[in-house]
Amino acid sequence: MLLVSPAVAMVALFVLFPLGFAVYISLTDWPLIGPYHFIGGQNYSLLIHDPEFIHSVVFTLLYTAIVTGPIFLVGYGMAVLVRSGRLGSVFFRTAFFLPFIVGLATESFMVLLELQPDSGAADYVLSKIGLAHADTAWTVDYGLALTAICVFVTWFASGLTMMLLMAGMQGIPTELYEAAEVDGASWWQKERRVTLPLLRRNIALALIISVIGSFLAFNQFYILTEGGPGTSTQPVVMWIYEEAFVQYHLGYATAGAIALVVVIGIISAAQFYLLRDRDNARAGR
Amino acid sequence: MTAASRASYAPQSSRRSRAAGDSRATRGGRGRGRDLGRTGFALYLTGGTIAALIFLLPFAWAIVRSFMPNDLVTQAPAASDFSHLTTVNYTGLIQTNDILRYAANSLMVAVGTGLLTAVIATMAGYGFARFRFRGSGVVFALVLVTMMIPFQALLTPLFLEMHTLGLTNNLAGLALFYTTFNLPFGVFVMRNTFLQIPWELSEAAAVDGASAVRTLVSVLRPLVVPGIATTVLYAFLFSWTEFVGALTFLTSNNLFTLPLALLTMEYGSVGQVNFGYLEAGAVIAMVPCVLLYIGLQRFYIRGLVSGVVKG
Repeated sequence: MLLVSPAVAMVALFVLFPLGFAVYISLTDWPLIGPYHFIGGQNYSLLIHDPEFIHSVVFTLLYTAIVTGPIFLVGYGMAVLVRSGRLGSVFFRTAFFLPFIVGLATESFMVLLELQPDSGAADYVLSKIGLAHADTAWTVDYGLALTAICVFVTWFASGLTMMLLMAGMQGIPTELYEAAEVDGASWWQKERRVTLPLLRRNIALALIISVIGSFLAFNQFYILTEGGPGTSTQPVVMWIYEEAFVQYHLGYATAGAIALVVVIGIISAAQFYLLRDRDNARAGR
Repeated sequence: MTAASRASYAPQSSRRSRAAGDSRATRGGRGRGRDLGRTGFALYLTGGTIAALIFLLPFAWAIVRSFMPNDLVTQAPAASDFSHLTTVNYTGLIQTNDILRYAANSLMVAVGTGLLTAVIATMAGYGFARFRFRGSGVVFALVLVTMMIPFQALLTPLFLEMHTLGLTNNLAGLALFYTTFNLPFGVFVMRNTFLQIPWELSEAAAVDGASAVRTLVSVLRPLVVPGIATTVLYAFLFSWTEFVGALTFLTSNNLFTLPLALLTMEYGSVGQVNFGYLEAGAVIAMVPCVLLYIGLQRFYIRGLVSGVVKG
């Protein structure tokens, strides 16, 4: 019991206490400095009528809806490519996963440079093949910025999906494929009838991790667009950050944060429920 | 205590045999696709190579560009750029932007986070794996549940709390914050590590007259070290690449970690952004991640499989 106490103390101090404290702050008009007052649910009722907050929620959902599919499909394709352990597959796997390791913050600075009009690699390459003008300014236009960031994030995150799916694919017994081949199944039939059903657990996991990651997006928007033009590309986490540490409306910002915790909590609980169910079903195997 | 640890034998051994079954299946899976044929294999290599280039070229390009002075970086790329490679960005960053200080800040926080996470997670993992005490299931669940709580949503209460404790604008405070949010994963990995150890082995060593220290070193170390390496690697990389927490908890310039130093460069100290410096700074931030990952890849993947997929 003594052994686990440091871990429990840390979690209590930096997760559980702040969580409870957050609920309390969200019921006040807490400024950064000075006295605060208990105002009950007022922050929450303001929140649902705040166009800026609503926009950040809708924008986050839109962004999640756009990137989740491509990340999954690219990740699945790459997992198919590397799962077999053929010559070169370790190299491919390493390459595909590298963007996830280096991290969105560092890469956002690199991407910022390449999205500059006239000098960036994006305009250079795209103007050569006639898809964009050489002076396209990607980060100051809502549609262009969202497009660029979605491509960038797909490049960044699909490696993680690949890893999660690959782990599942390698656990599927070879005999199943051999049996399917004896029955004359094509590649696609094997994929659909053998791989996909047995991979459901990993697919659910990969999708949930990807969706949660998108809901918590911050770095790429903060660094590349600063939420602009205006606040049009401002995701929820950035709304919380700006409201708390730029506007100093700590109580109000925290009410928004609580809403985020609830949503993420529901998704995570759904994950536990879905995956546990599968585990019990597989236990008889 | 002994009764409890003995009671936990049964599930352990069944767990072990299942893990062995898994690895057999993995090895079996490797053989798949041998029947690919020559054309299929050529297609696989071509497709893989093109995809790998898409993933690697941006990094290679960033490295090349970091050796071009700002006035070339801010012009359209041209073939002649490659004959003007220079280290001016790096020397400039060191001399005028104090990049080594920021790198040292990042390194201290990341190493501190890695070590602290390893120590606390190893203790807790051992405790959860070997002993059942009143409420241990509940406590373990509580630690894991925190994995579901995004720290991004706790920035305001954490800021107020850490400010009161004197932990804002404090690299040790930042490391404590990072450690906490790495603990659930670390505890989970370390608990699994200790669960997979055949304790009969250490008992046999004791019967054969090995001292406790010798048992620890020669029997347990080879089994536990991979788990610790996984935990340290995740904590280090998390800390090295984290952005929004550092942005919130650090406000004085001389304590900035690398991502914050890059942000300062993006805003430009005198209004003018030096993109050459920014690119070189990004490369400096990137290199340790790449080297660590390539060197310790098997630990990373191990963690992904045992800590996330099975979790």
